[in-house]
Amino acid sequence: MKYYLIRLLRSVLTLLIVVTVVFLLMRMMPVEGYFGTNYDKLDELQKQAKLENLGLLDPWYIQLKDFYVSLLHGDLGQSITYRPKVAISTIIGSKFLVSLRFGLASLSLSLVLGLSMGILMARSKGKIWDKLGTGYVVGANAVPAVIYYLLIQVFVTKWLDLPLLYEKVNMLSWILPVICLSLVSTAYYAMWIRRYMVDELNKDYIRLARAKGLRNKTIMIKHVMRNAFVPMAQYLPASILYTISGSIYVESLFSIPGTGGLLVTAIQRQDNTLVQALVLVYSSIGIIGLLLGDILMATFDPRIKLHNEGGSR
Amino acid sequence: MSTKTINKIADNIDPSLFEFAEYDESKAELTGYSNYSFWRSTIQVFLKNKVAVVLLLIVGLVVLFTLVQPYLPNQKLPNKIYLDPATGLQLRNQSPNAEYWFGTNSIGQDLWARIWSGTRTSLFIGFAVGLFEALVGITIGALWGYVRKLDAVITEIYNVWDNIPTTVVLIILTYIMKPSIPTIIFAMCMTGWLGMARFVRNLIIIIRDREYNLASRCLGTPTSRIITKNLLPYLVSVIMLRMALAIPLAIGNEVFLSYIGMGLPLDIPSLGNLINEGRILMMSPALRYQLLFPAAVISIVTVSFYVIGNVFADSADPRNHV
Amino acid sequence: MKHKATEEILNGEIVLSVDEIVIKFNLRGKELTAIRGASLDLHKGESLAIVGESGSGKSVFTKSFMGLLDSNGRIESGTIMYKGDNLAKFKTEDDWIKIRGKEIAMVFQDPMTSLNPLKTIGKQVQESIELHQNLKGEEAKKLAIDILSDVGISDSEKRFKQYPHEFSGGMRQRVVIAIAVACNPNILICDEPTTALDVTIQAQILQLLKNLQKKYDLTIIYITHDLGVVANVADRIAVMYAGDIIELGTADEVFFDPKHPYTWALLSSLPQLGIKGEPLYSIKGTPPNLFKEIVGDAFAPRNPKALKIDFVKRPPYFEVTPTHKARTWLLDPRSPKIEPPAMILKMREMDEKWGVSNE
Repeated sequence: MKYYLIRLLRSVLTLLIVVTVVFLLMRMMPVEGYFGTNYDKLDELQKQAKLENLGLLDPWYIQLKDFYVSLLHGDLGQSITYRPKVAISTIIGSKFLVSLRFGLASLSLSLVLGLSMGILMARSKGKIWDKLGTGYVVGANAVPAVIYYLLIQVFVTKWLDLPLLYEKVNMLSWILPVICLSLVSTAYYAMWIRRYMVDELNKDYIRLARAKGLRNKTIMIKHVMRNAFVPMAQYLPASILYTISGSIYVESLFSIPGTGGLLVTAIQRQDNTLVQALVLVYSSIGIIGLLLGDILMATFDPRIKLHNEGGSR
Repeated sequence: MSTKTINKIADNIDPSLFEFAEYDESKAELTGYSNYSFWRSTIQVFLKNKVAVVLLLIVGLVVLFTLVQPYLPNQKLPNKIYLDPATGLQLRNQSPNAEYWFGTNSIGQDLWARIWSGTRTSLFIGFAVGLFEALVGITIGALWGYVRKLDAVITEIYNVWDNIPTTVVLIILTYIMKPSIPTIIFAMCMTGWLGMARFVRNLIIIIRDREYNLASRCLGTPTSRIITKNLLPYLVSVIMLRMALAIPLAIGNEVFLSYIGMGLPLDIPSLGNLINEGRILMMSPALRYQLLFPAAVISIVTVSFYVIGNVFADSADPRNHV
Repeated sequence: MKHKATEEILNGEIVLSVDEIVIKFNLRGKELTAIRGASLDLHKGESLAIVGESGSGKSVFTKSFMGLLDSNGRIESGTIMYKGDNLAKFKTEDDWIKIRGKEIAMVFQDPMTSLNPLKTIGKQVQESIELHQNLKGEEAKKLAIDILSDVGISDSEKRFKQYPHEFSGGMRQRVVIAIAVACNPNILICDEPTTALDVTIQAQILQLLKNLQKKYDLTIIYITHDLGVVANVADRIAVMYAGDIIELGTADEVFFDPKHPYTWALLSSLPQLGIKGEPLYSIKGTPPNLFKEIVGDAFAPRNPKALKIDFVKRPPYFEVTPTHKARTWLLDPRSPKIEPPAMILKMREMDEKWGVSNE
């Protein structure tokens, strides 16, 4: 219990630091980002009035306090250029559902594919399946994802006669984005489960399990896979949360109206408050993911609570 | 075994053989396994992996070529806009031909020159990031490991920092600073040093506490020798691995930043903005070469460095040595 | 002699018979001969110790009885006869499942890593019972708790539910032994069972194994490089060098009347036999490279008094007594007579004074 509490406190602390730092960094931004397209048309006085109005001329600690107060009310501020004067929580809320649906679809696909691929690779270590799988993992990890997303968009759409962009009513237009979203995470899951299984297979207790007459199949299921899953459990929630919060590349490439594509648009339109809000949302997701991962792992592995009581991760 | 069979084996032996042989102590030592050398074994194991060797050759050639390319004869300039001599207009979107080997882009710049210039930029960013990461990581890691008072503080900072998604740090730093090569290198180093620092810290704690090092010290081995023989091979191999992996990662991040509009300006060609330029034109089949050429170069470079780094790390692991 | 039971055992039935076994490994394109034609008979109810330095092939030799060689290793020739089956010919998992645990069980060196860290120790013992004793659920659990008490774990009902990390090294080794015993095997192979433990715990574990041997009617093979362990528990001793058993005899014979120069050298380097003020004897050189073919007596290059023939021809086994044999040309009648080193003679004295050997 103490372990969970300390871990939770650390996450809250991290989140506070990140929120504060991001907020302060954003104050260093050129102020154009708060005006939208009419910046050049305004005279100095109007600009000052607007900044005053936004509270940007107050000392930083007042601004920070105001920011936290509105955060506590669930208010992330208003969009400036993207959809002027619309509450950001509304914008993100509507986009999030779309990302969630794509995320869940690709998550199920990549978990099934990745885990079975990794297990197959671990069991045929050094043989042809392992080599093919490793080739895939290397490719997916090394080459920037956008390259093969673009190639898929250019070539696969034509070969399979699938829609190039997302259309809300056309289920066929879901296929390629979901596959693209799954490509990288499949490689990750496969790589992790293979590595951890191979690690476990080399451990002494597997030797003892064999010596006491367990069949390889039983050892694989009852000992190796279970134990290999534990270190994976640490990364799983983070990776799940990232998937459902949308991929920046895939959503903008396929014009999916999700949160991932939103970040690109916000940056390109220099919408300061929107960028700030999205960065906060993404950091929170990352921090919560790691927190859940540690909690999940601690529930599976009885040793962790003991060793890490108050120690480092 | 019965006495009979023994006699059979023992028969027909020259009785003179039942004399003492000369004993040579140095020969006794010769019977064992050959002298072990960390680097020789590492190189041997690495060379056994044919794929990695081929990729190493390719990478060597690519790096060499990016360096000498501007000085070769008949090379175009990456930023010069070439005009059609007949019409005086920009030589736009020329398909690859004898003059423009990889064709020209939408404003008449030579793609061949831009790709090599871009590869140079991206590799430079990669190397710089790898180097700074190593420097910062080793410094902080050493403090972290050696100075016991700092341990708790740095551990907490590490835990907080490590919790923030890398992409977020990249985006926010480049959003705030002006897009330029130093900005990109700085943003990437801000997240990259973490792994290195933790590694160095663990290494120092190992040096401090592992039995074989304790044994070395008890035998009176000077610290300098412990560092060069026990620590350095470890450290050098890890730095090399991280440098090798920093390059594909840096290229990937640079591509990402260009994609979201935070990349380098177009007059500094990089693999990221070349991809981005190619992407805009990719839907017309005739112009696809502007995407495919940089994509091919990126794939070759990133995969090569990634594989070389990993194979090298495996080779440097003494468990894989004969 | 002191071992009254030894004779009885040697007249008893042979449970396992290894003949001229050759084991090879492929290591990164090169071939290594780990075991070079070793032979051994194991008698029911005895404690046999296999001694030798690291890399002499002790572990590989015994692992081959259970089909536990690493995947790059194979039995090249020779036979391992057990209950009418030639284990050397076993290939499939289905063959080995009949042997592993059920007939031959094994205790490994490092108790810290031999247990699955994520399963309670009770479940791990219960797993053996359910596998080999036709018991399920509650009954298996009850027996598991009994066996845990048998190996000296007090309050075993409560500790059944605990995880390995809640146990000390010595306690974990007791659990590992419980897992092996729970298989109800004929033969128990203990691979360096006490090497990783504190000296005080070592004695407890050895005593435990002795008690279990009586209670469960076990035949035990100890693999060790620690002659102290050997003196404590072994009825018979097999000395291994470079993948071959070079001397085999009862504990008394090997300790007090050794014949092979390697056995001499090994015993002479015992710290207990050191003479005050003189440097302790140590064997010069290193064991041979098993990637190369070994000609003659493998120990010859390190033996200051080697014969010429030792470099030419491999010695056969010479029988000293019906229970004692050694592979050395020194036992050939044509060889010059060599007295064993002074240390060995001293050993006999010490035995009379303090009783180095059994009991």
